[in-house]
Amino acid sequence: MTKMQRNSLLSVHDYSFDFETLNDPLLNNLNFTLYEGETTLLIGPSGSGKSSLSLCLNGLYPDAVEGVASGEIRFQDQPVHDFEKGQVNQQIGIVFQDPDSQFCMITVEDELAFTLENIQTPREEMEARIDEMLNTIGMDDYKYEAIHTLSGGQKQKIALASVLLLEPDVLILDEPTANLDPMSQLEFIQLIERLQSAMDLTILLIEHQADDWLYLIDRVLVLSRQGELMEDGEVESILQTKQQQLIDHGIFIPKQYLDSPPNPKPTIHTNNTEPCFTMESISFSRKNKQILKNINLTLKKGEMTAIVGENGAGKSTLLQLMARLLQPEAGTMTFLNKPLAKWKEQSLRQHMGFVFQNPEHQFITDTTYDEIAFSMTLNGYDAETIDTRTRELLNHFHLINEKSQNPFALSGGQKRRLSVATMLDETPDLLLFDEPTFGQDAQTTHELMEIMTEIQQQGTTIVFVTHDMDLVDQYCDTVYVLNEQSIQFHGRPAKLWEHDELLDQARLRKPFRLEMREKVGVAHDLSH
Amino acid sequence: MLPMISAINPTVKAIAVLIPGILLGLTFDVFTPLVYLLFIISVTFLLSDLSFKRWIKFFVPFFLFIASFSWARLLYTSETFQDGSVLFSFWAFEVTTGGLLVAVSLALRSLCFIALSLLFIMTTDSTKFMLSLMQQLRLSPKITYGVLAGYRFLPTFKHELEVLRQAHRVRGVGRAKGIRGRIRQFKRYSIPLLANSIRKAERVANAMESKGFTGEHDRTHYHQMTVTKRDWRFLGMMVGALFLAFVASYYFGYLNIFGYQVN
Repeated sequence: MTKMQRNSLLSVHDYSFDFETLNDPLLNNLNFTLYEGETTLLIGPSGSGKSSLSLCLNGLYPDAVEGVASGEIRFQDQPVHDFEKGQVNQQIGIVFQDPDSQFCMITVEDELAFTLENIQTPREEMEARIDEMLNTIGMDDYKYEAIHTLSGGQKQKIALASVLLLEPDVLILDEPTANLDPMSQLEFIQLIERLQSAMDLTILLIEHQADDWLYLIDRVLVLSRQGELMEDGEVESILQTKQQQLIDHGIFIPKQYLDSPPNPKPTIHTNNTEPCFTMESISFSRKNKQILKNINLTLKKGEMTAIVGENGAGKSTLLQLMARLLQPEAGTMTFLNKPLAKWKEQSLRQHMGFVFQNPEHQFITDTTYDEIAFSMTLNGYDAETIDTRTRELLNHFHLINEKSQNPFALSGGQKRRLSVATMLDETPDLLLFDEPTFGQDAQTTHELMEIMTEIQQQGTTIVFVTHDMDLVDQYCDTVYVLNEQSIQFHGRPAKLWEHDELLDQARLRKPFRLEMREKVGVAHDLSH
Repeated sequence: MLPMISAINPTVKAIAVLIPGILLGLTFDVFTPLVYLLFIISVTFLLSDLSFKRWIKFFVPFFLFIASFSWARLLYTSETFQDGSVLFSFWAFEVTTGGLLVAVSLALRSLCFIALSLLFIMTTDSTKFMLSLMQQLRLSPKITYGVLAGYRFLPTFKHELEVLRQAHRVRGVGRAKGIRGRIRQFKRYSIPLLANSIRKAERVANAMESKGFTGEHDRTHYHQMTVTKRDWRFLGMMVGALFLAFVASYYFGYLNIFGYQVN
């Protein structure tokens, strides 16, 4: 895009914001401008206040949270707080991250009508506007559907549609694709591209992993951990020349700018073929709906395995069956050469760990220390052993300074580490992870994968559910593709990338290194 | 032409169900609630396309509960109603005609409440009910849309509780034993559930306000909820039928209000 003249649309002057006092504010003395028709990417580590900033920009904060702010935000050269209540929100629409907490009505039709009612659209015009908008986003057939029956990608499209009905000048996208499967992510990005030119939108995009968005981005803003504006400028210059500073701040660098792109995991030829866990003809239904049909699976000792497939394919269900949290309707499972059903509960939990998607679900006690010591106490170890082992784990996971804090008060990355640490009081034989990197920033994701690799090296078999094909490519020995109730592929990740048709059906993508190669068209031998 | 119940304005319908409910609470005889119960049931099936099977599935459990409750009531009737001849007696219990009438009347009144509630619940769309309360009774949009957003949370809440149970089971926490164990378990579940609910509620609130929601009444309505003549006819029919039952009851000499025989 070339711009003859940049018109300032939204500008921020010496702006600071915090939920309590401005002594050490969350957003610290920001100055920047959004220009008409441009797409600006805002990046920064977790906790740098990116989401709060977007709510400040559309005038909700500080009033909605009784926070404090200084400085000024001007929209079309008029201070934001001079507008009437609800006025600025209409000019600056936001699509949020979580597809499940953006709606207040049951059906698509009513949700879209809710927006129109807010801006007092005459009733006679509503239906036509709703139909037109659904047509624009390509969801005509979903007008009367209940929102909760839609997929994550469809929900985000509806969230987008309901914001666009405001006919905003500025669209803020706050990690809109973070919770979507790879194909849905791409579809959403393509939709935004189409709409931007059609509706003449100025876009502010907040995104941890901006790889797929890059071609739409005109400019980058970088927030530091202290909530200060670190960089403001051209994409190329910042992502290339300031790369090291950004990495130090825990920011994901789009892979195409990385000097050394990630490599696939080399094949290790082990003679160890002893199975740790096997599943034979497992089937499972929920409410008369078949979820899994005739699943066979073997996990070899000490391997790292990924389970992939689109949202709702039954990946989590499969993991829950393996952990005996659900009972299959048919089939048998064997864990360490003993039928899973024969294991005593306590002994099973000692030998098999399970890390949930949301670490908070696993917390039981009031301090980080107790959290780690909990299972050991339960298993009747003596006090001294418990203390030594707990301190070891706290040190290892860099949680020793937080040992007397409440687990709920930890940062996102700390919570994630603690949830893993609680499973390691004794080295488990099998460790299951349900989408462990979901919605996490670069640093947390990296840390977690390092931890998992380390645990694997100690001989633990690891299984995790993920949408991130780069992780599969870099870390896994084996990958299982779950699609239409059954396993449609299992084998080395490098082999999976050769099956284009299957990848398409299961709504998967290739890892970055291959997508890039196909785009650039460089024939480059990667076989090891 | 009589209106279909599902098309009646939900607020008017609620009133049409509430008034007979309250007035019936005053009658202590058997005849009035019996007549009215028959009336409610016929209205339910004549004026809606509700399937009998679905209705009976809800009605029967209540029926059994009320039957057992009334049986207890029959045995422990207070002195005031212990008149009339003794019908039968066993152990230390004496069942009199007076006691029997009171117990049966209580059962019939309870069944009327149940039938009225089912009539309302099974023919009313919950969203439309809230919208109607806002449009007819000027309920604040803040509360209206707050409740509507709350509806959407219920299934997620259930799902989350399920995940929480699993997560704790993995950590080796078994089923709670004893009262203290239960209290501790409640605490363990409630903190993460509350923390998440508050976060989600805040997100929904932000999303709603970002779409221009102000909580004020100055908004247009996609579903215009109106009150028309047929809604009043329905209200009149529901209340009128009760008065007819009262009159008939009085005529036959059964009517008993608050324990006083009205004759």
